[in-house]
Formats: sequence, C-alpha cells, structure tokens
Amino acid sequence: MKKPTTFQDIILTLQQFWAAQGCVILQPLDMEVGAGTFHPATFLRAIGPEPWSSAYVQPSRRPTDGRYGENPNRVQHYYQFQVVLKPSPLDIQEKYLDSLRALGVDPLADDIRFVEDNWESPSLGAWGLGWEVWQNGMEISQFTYFQQIGGLPCKPVTGELTYGLERLAMFLLGVDSLFELPWAKTAQGVVTYGDVFHQNEVEMSAYNFEHANIEALFKQFDYYEAEAQKLVALQLALPAFEMVIKASHAFNLLDARHAISVTERQRYILRVRQLAKSIALAYYQTREALGFPLLSSKVCDVE
Amino acid sequence: MLNDLLFELGTEELPSGAVLPLAEALADQLKMAFSKENIQHGKIHSFATPRRLAVLIHDVETVQGNQKISRRGPTVAAAVSTEGQALPSLLGFAKSCGVTVNDLTTVKTDKGEWWMYEAENPGAKTRDLLSAMINGAIAALPIAKPMRWGAGDATFARPVHWAVFLFGDDIVDAHVLGVKTGRHSFGHRFHGSEEISIPTPRAYEALLKEAFVIADFAERRQLIVDQINQIAKAHDFQPIMPESLVDEVTSIVEWPQALLANFEPEFLEVPSEALIAAMQSHQKCFALRDKQDQLLPNFITVANIVSINPEQVILGNEKVMRARLSDAAFFFRQDKRQTLHQYRDGMANVVFQARLGSLEDKVNRLQVLMGHLVDPLQLKDSQAIRVAELSKCDLMTGMVGEFPELQGLMGYYYARHDNEDEAVAQALNEQYMPRFSGDELPKSSLGLALSLADRLDTLVGAFVIGQKPTGDKDPFKLRRHALAVVRLLLSAQAALNLSTLIHDTLHGYGDLQSTDSCIVELKPFILERLHSYYHGIGVAQEIVYAVRARQDDWLYDLDKRVHALLSFTQRPEAVSLSAACKRVNNLLQHASIDPRLHDVDKNKFTETAEKALYEHIRTVEQRISPLYSCGDYSQILSQLASLHGPVDHFFEHVMVMIDDEEIKHNRLSLLARLQNVLQGVADISLLQQSP
Repeated sequence: MKKPTTFQDIILTLQQFWAAQGCVILQPLDMEVGAGTFHPATFLRAIGPEPWSSAYVQPSRRPTDGRYGENPNRVQHYYQFQVVLKPSPLDIQEKYLDSLRALGVDPLADDIRFVEDNWESPSLGAWGLGWEVWQNGMEISQFTYFQQIGGLPCKPVTGELTYGLERLAMFLLGVDSLFELPWAKTAQGVVTYGDVFHQNEVEMSAYNFEHANIEALFKQFDYYEAEAQKLVALQLALPAFEMVIKASHAFNLLDARHAISVTERQRYILRVRQLAKSIALAYYQTREALGFPLLSSKVCDVE
Repeated sequence: MLNDLLFELGTEELPSGAVLPLAEALADQLKMAFSKENIQHGKIHSFATPRRLAVLIHDVETVQGNQKISRRGPTVAAAVSTEGQALPSLLGFAKSCGVTVNDLTTVKTDKGEWWMYEAENPGAKTRDLLSAMINGAIAALPIAKPMRWGAGDATFARPVHWAVFLFGDDIVDAHVLGVKTGRHSFGHRFHGSEEISIPTPRAYEALLKEAFVIADFAERRQLIVDQINQIAKAHDFQPIMPESLVDEVTSIVEWPQALLANFEPEFLEVPSEALIAAMQSHQKCFALRDKQDQLLPNFITVANIVSINPEQVILGNEKVMRARLSDAAFFFRQDKRQTLHQYRDGMANVVFQARLGSLEDKVNRLQVLMGHLVDPLQLKDSQAIRVAELSKCDLMTGMVGEFPELQGLMGYYYARHDNEDEAVAQALNEQYMPRFSGDELPKSSLGLALSLADRLDTLVGAFVIGQKPTGDKDPFKLRRHALAVVRLLLSAQAALNLSTLIHDTLHGYGDLQSTDSCIVELKPFILERLHSYYHGIGVAQEIVYAVRARQDDWLYDLDKRVHALLSFTQRPEAVSLSAACKRVNNLLQHASIDPRLHDVDKNKFTETAEKALYEHIRTVEQRISPLYSCGDYSQILSQLASLHGPVDHFFEHVMVMIDDEEIKHNRLSLLARLQNVLQGVADISLLQQSP
C-alpha cells in the first residue's frame, strides 16, 4: 500500500484496512458527541452477548477545547477513527500494528509503545483497561478492553481502538499545525484542514464560549432527560439513548459557558449516569427479546 | 534427583507499576507452595518485563518429601466396650485408614483421649503437583485491577498469550489463565522474530537475550542507568534519575536504548521544577543539569528498540516535548497575567470537601488559625494573614492544574513575581513540607505555622465529619498529615499545646460538629504517629509512655524529656530507681489517706534511713527546681541518680505499712514527696526492668 500523503488518504487507508479485517464500515453518527464511544455502534453494541465488529470515523465535539482556531493542536471539533471488535480477538494488538504499517509506520524505525492508560466514563457508568499507544513519545491511539458499560459487565469483552486522526496525521505527514494538514490534492491545488475547518473553529468557539443560551440549554437538558426517562419506560432504548446524547452535549456547552459549578457538575454527571444505566439495561432486554439476532450463525464464506 | 523448573507467563503490556511486584509475588507464592508441599529446591530467579513474568527455580527435588499423615478417630471412652472390645466405630475408623486397630495410637488432650492414626507416606512426584501449584500461585497474585478479554472467563492484569512450563527438559502439562502450557516463548515485539523453543530451563535467559529481551529486571535497570550515565558523561552532563522513574522506565522496555534529545533553550525561563515535572511525569524522560546544577535544554529518552533510524525517534520525542513544554510555558505566562491574590476569586466555587465547604472556606479558617499562631511562633501579624490568604491561590492556576506536584512551589514563584514579601513567598512553598516521611521541615517559622495550620484544618475537618481512616482506607492521607504535625511540633520550640491547637481549629468549623464527630479520637490518633515516629528512630515505646504520663501536649518539651530519659536509662542506677518508683506507687495506692495532702513531719522520723532519705530529697529538690525552669531534663535526671543509695537504704531498713498510723502516714507522705521528685520528668516506674 502506498504511504498516505493527505488527511483523507489516512482515513481511506484505515477504512480499507479494517474492512479487510471483516469490520462493518459505518458512517458517522449524525449527532453531536464528545467521542466515538457515544456512537450506538460502540456503546450499545458492547452490551450483551452478540458479536460485533465495526469501524467508522466519528466527528467529535468538545466545546471547552475550542481556541478560536489559534492553537495549532486544539480544536473543539475533530475526528476520531473508531474500531470495535467484539469479542476482542487475541491478536488485536497485532492487527492494530498492521494498521499502522498500512499507514507507513515501521515499528523498527519508530518506537511504538503500549503505555498503561485506563478509561473511565463516570457519566456512562463505563470503564475499561488498556493503553495509550505511543509513537516516539506521542500518543496516537487509545486502546481499551471494555469491562463495564452502563453498569453492565461486558461479556464478551469489546476491544476498542480510537485513533486521534488529526494528531496521527500531523505525525505521519510531518506537519506542526493541524490547520496546515493537506486534506486533499485537488485540481485547484492542495486543500488544507484549515481551508475546511478554520472558520468553523473561530465561529463555533465564539458560539460555545460567548453566545450559547445558558437558560435554554438548562431547559434542554431537563427536557432531554425527561424525554429519555419516558422512552426508557417504553423500552425504546435507541431513541432514549439519542436523548442522552443530546443532554450530554447541552451539558458540555453549559460547561464551556462556565455555567456549572464544581458541585453541580457532579450532580449532572450522576443524572446522565442514571439514564445511561437504565438505557443499557433496556437495550439488553430488547435484544434479548429479539433472541440476540447476531448470535445466530449465518456466517457463510464470501470468496 | 534434581530438576530445574521454569515458568513463564506471556502477556500483553502490563501496567508499569505491576511488572516488578507481580514477578516478585509469583516467586514468593511458588516458594511458599514448595515449602508447603515439602519439596526441596535451590536458588529462585525471578524475571520481569512488560510482556512476561517468569521464575526459574534451580535444583528442584523430583519427589516430594515424606508426607506425615495424622487423623483423629473416635474418643477412647466411646470406642471400646466395657469388656475391652473394639466397637464398630473404632473398627470402621481403622478400616478407613487402611490398617488394623493395632496400628492406631491414642492421644490425650485436656479435652479427652482419642484414637489416632499416624503414618508417613512417601511423597508424590513433584511433576504431578506442579499444575495445581502454579495455578494456586497465580490465583494468589495481587492484581490491582483485574480484567477479562475476548470471550473467556480468565482474569488477569492484561490478556495472557502463552505459558512456558518446563520441569527438567520436559513440558509440564497444565492450563493457566486459559492457555495451555508448552515450551514456546516469544522475544521482543518488534526485534524478535519467530517463536523461541526453550529446550531446558537454564537456557531461558540467554535465548531471550538472543531475541532482544533482557528478562532480568535488575540487569535491564542497570543497563538503562549505564546508558544514561554514558551519554551524560560524554557531554559533561549530570542526569536527574529518581529511583521511581528508573523503575518505571525499566518496566516499559524489554530492550532499552537511551537517546539524547534537545529542546529550545527559551523554555528554560520556565521554573526548572515545572520543566522537570513535564519531562518526567508525562514523557518518562530524564532531565539533565550542568556542573553548576543548572537545568540544560537537553533530555534523555529511553526507546524500546534499536531504531534503524534513531534520528526519527529523537525528532519525534523532541516534537512531543516541545508541545509539553509549550504547555508549561503557556501556563507560566498565562498564570502571571493575574496576581496570585486575584486567584482567590474563583475559590468559592472549588469544593474542598463536600461537607467541609469550599477552598475559600478553608482559606478563611486558615487565616483565623494563623492568628492563633502569631504569638507563640513570634510571627509578623501582616505576614501571617497574607500567607494564609495566598496559601491556596496557586491551586487555581493552570500550571498546578497540569502538574499538581508543583503546588506550593508555583505559589512561591508567582508570589515573587508579584513582589510579595520574600518570607511570604518562601512560606507558600514550605506549607507542604514535609511532603513525605523523612522530607525536610520548613525552615521558617512562617512556613512551619502554615504547614501546621493547613494539616490541622484537614485533620480536624475529617474527624468532625467522621472520616477517621480505617484499615487501608485513608483518602485524606490523614496518617501522613498527623505524622507531619508531630514532626512540626517536635521541632517547634514555641509553647504550642496540641489540645489547644485542636480546640482552636475545631472552633473554625463553627456549627459543623455533627453527631458522627469523632474529634475526641484525634489527639490519640496524632499521638499514635508520635509513637511510630519514635519507633522509627529506635526509641523504645516505654520511654515514650513514661514521658507521656507527665505530659503529651507540648511536644517540643516532650522530645527533650524523651532524649533525657534515653540517656538516663543508660545509667546503672536507672533500674533500681525505676523499681523503687514502682514500689512507691504500690504503697501509695494502698494508702487509706492521700499522703500528698500532708507535709512530712521530721519529728516523726524514728529511723536514720528515713531521715537520711528526707535530707537527700530536700537537697535534690533544691538542685532541680531551677533546672525545671530551663527545662534541663538531663541534669534533673542525673541528680535523681544520687537518690539511688538512700532509697535502697530506706527500703532495706524501714517498714512503711506499720500499725502506728501516725508514723505510717508520715512515711507515706515522705514517699509521696519522693515520688514527686522521681517522676517529675517522666513516670520512670513504667520503664522496663531490663538494663
């Protein structure tokens, strides 16, 4: 495989690689999330006994990380490439290293390390153990074996790989500012990451930090919470989960507006956690009621 | 027959903090198992890398030592008929042991007499026991956070891939954490190629080295130290190598390769402690100093490969380091845009502890407490208030948010930048001293006062809300704070009374004293640390108790008494005076009147021995009375030594508990006076009766 030379090459290479590994290549979730873990293809599919392998790009929003496009390393909107393998295969590390090789990384030239880093999301009632992966001292991926999701034990265990695409690209392409990353080479010349997203960073930072309507956001949070509770009671786990995602984003915006004090913060996290737990359980029950469809062996050899 | 034994567990990269402890625990568990099974063996060699835990045991007996069997049967009374015939219960017992009644013995205890079967069976083959032993040892390993992986049920620190298990040249068949044992190991993740077949246990270490793995932790650690020193020496640098960092780096590499890298000298404007913290805690790199102890714009990173392009590894690390240091430099610049004092504004929103209020509440309490310390520690009023006011401001800065270990130190830098009083700046850093047991104490009284006030506030607060530490659980690190309070008070000459300090601190919590308050337990809790402190420096516990019987509130004075008593106990008279003291205590305890309330009447003496003792006591009293005012306890105690003759003489020749009440009471009053003199410094009756 040719060494990627643009941001989109990297995405295409990873998609192709993981497709060849038998992953369902999905498209991003069409909602604002803080990380690829919020995609139902990770959070919900990690629940219960059904096997599941998937890979997708997930645009992620962290309003507090916005810097009006002035910081070469930090943005409020960025991309993750997410891979989930359930049950986690024994050669998952080797597969991951092969994906790096596909991107042109030579582990005999670059110092690749798996450095302990455990993951915990108090608001999702979820935790796992794993590593951050270092390439010459730079963290390029997160690697987690989920142990618990929404308060339920993960059996079998899902292995989650998350590539921070901008950082990985800066490293692979030897660029010091993410806005200078070549996104694509077009007939009109090179289009950079900055061409695509710089204005978005400036305007969204202004919105997140200055203009987001605090009062309305508090109301939204309460509304989404009530809506989620109603939907869980109706055993409608998927729409209920969407409400949690919306509530979560409202919370993140309030956080960026410094509208939530430290003590209150804890209370909001607990409210989301309560919802996440009941949704996880409802999802498990609805899948069980369907007879865990993906458990049935309909595997046939595809030449 | 002797065989070597090898066990290796191959895993995914273990948490760095677990590598060495797990390897050591595995060796210990196996050692215990061999001893329990009565199997002799030679040297145990343990190996530890990020991807493997292994044990090589030399010269293991192939047969277990004889096994003693001991089974208790029915009672003698119940198992034999009146005619002396063995009853069925006894016959059945013998049969179950595979012998006849003639082969049984009896044993008598204070609860009765029983039939016993005792025998020695030849031991089993070691090989047959190994599978159970290794699984037992692994099950007993202390895994802080166990995990599952794949679809299996095994749990370990990280997923397990292989297990080598050899006894002599043969594989020991076993299943360990979901894998079948064999003789195939794997070398370095990138440098090692195919699997390695281990023919015999002693070949293990060398074969792994061929596959680019230095399995021995100590050897790998030394290699890292040597490589770093070699680079440093070539450039005339001094490496900064904390033990814990060297251990950590040793735990994340199998084939270390130290490399020298640089950063831009502009970063050196940032306080060196912040730069060092960035290098060590985030990047696990080693900082370097020059001969004059000045930090250099260079660092050493330890790679896990011998790169075909080391320049690429160095450039990569430099890039990350630049980003890290830029963060530190950014925080340093950004933080200084406000004065330290301005950071107080945000404190009301930061929770110190849910029930104990905000950081601002804490600072307000500290200000009041510092007020109490002004007189005893002769502080300047203005400094005491100012330092308390600024004490927690640096916790609100970006730098301390990023590097919590720099708390206090950043306060110092920022205070200096704001042109605060130098003494205030210094005390801001000293408030966290001692940072660990054995760390130095604050040099200034202002720093000592703040350190004391801060810790007392935390201790009292935690006890008020019933959060006294239990067992391993000590989330507020109260034991450490209590030890620090002890050390601070021992060193502070000023008259600081522990009970008063606790009371003053408690006052700051106002109405918060809830029903679950365990504040009465705080002083004993702190004094427990006093005992462990003295134990640590080799002072016998009874010395501390003897002094505590006099007073345990002014610890500086207590310390002087302890040291005086220590040298007193070296004197030959100490033993008999301590015994005499005990005797006096006994006699006074049984007195029907309180002899202390009555003056000694010389005219009621009938024996020369009591007269002589009285005169001696008076002389000693006159001599020691001025010594008390200057607290010269050594002198006082050596004066007491002279009483030893007259006291012994008294007890040899004088009966105290006689029928004549008047004389008896006079003698008891004399003894009360003696007791007063003898026990003025410490209750020496509590000293052990051994020299």
